Amino acid sequence: MMTTVFFELKNSQIGIAGLGGLGSNVAVALVRTGAGRLILADFDVVEEPNLNRQQYFLDQVGCHKVDALTANLLRIRPDSDLVGRKVRLTPDNIPVIFAGCHVVAECFDRSDQKQMLVETVLSRMPDTAIVSVSGLAGYGRSNDIVTRRIHRRHVLVGDGTSGIGPGVPLTASRVGIAAHHQANAILELLLDTEMRSLWARRNTGAGI
Amino acid sequence: MNTTLRINGNDKQFPQDRAPKTLAELLAELKIDQATVVAEIDGRIVERKDFASAALQPGQSIELVRFVGGG
Repeated sequence: MMTTVFFELKNSQIGIAGLGGLGSNVAVALVRTGAGRLILADFDVVEEPNLNRQQYFLDQVGCHKVDALTANLLRIRPDSDLVGRKVRLTPDNIPVIFAGCHVVAECFDRSDQKQMLVETVLSRMPDTAIVSVSGLAGYGRSNDIVTRRIHRRHVLVGDGTSGIGPGVPLTASRVGIAAHHQANAILELLLDTEMRSLWARRNTGAGI
Repeated sequence: MNTTLRINGNDKQFPQDRAPKTLAELLAELKIDQATVVAEIDGRIVERKDFASAALQPGQSIELVRFVGGG
């Protein structure tokens, strides 16, 4: 069983949309587990407040997140296969940037951006699954964060209700729980029988 | 007479003369911001730009996935 997980992960291509609290943690978990190719997409730079939950270092403040995360992941595993894209993701460029990905991780901050990405992948990328997050703000209530399969190609993580707001901060601990649910759901999807037969049928040759 | 719509696996009743006729009307009735929801009717994704033209029929299965901010 474990051998199969590692084999499939090594032959996978996974998109990470947004390299903040979710994305940077998902990427670290996947690289440590032995991910194949990761497409890392974010237009932003590291800012000091990000350090409360994101996988960057103080001396990386001001660097593009794509460059900083790439450097950090290569320190963990020098043979990581990483593709960085410093762009703002839109419905038009998402199918191009994440072309050939088996799974895309939705790691955005804003609710309308989450909506845009999930809708785009589900409606325009028939061979790609998406793992998204809704509801991770605050602290405690660890067990309220759950993983649910909404659709054959859509897994949703979170408590569904805890948005950011006054007095409801994002914490490394609770964001980390959600990010690891996401990474774990990605491993599960890569071994999912239905998804594997979908990938086997596609003609791009990129199937697992 | 009521009209029944199945939303996220639960039946919801609307008075027949005030039943939402489109996905956009349903979201307004439920006070859900269109910008934060991914919608499916009978397993098919409806893009946000089509919410106003997506007609609802009794007996359809409607799935609404709402996103709150944070990441």
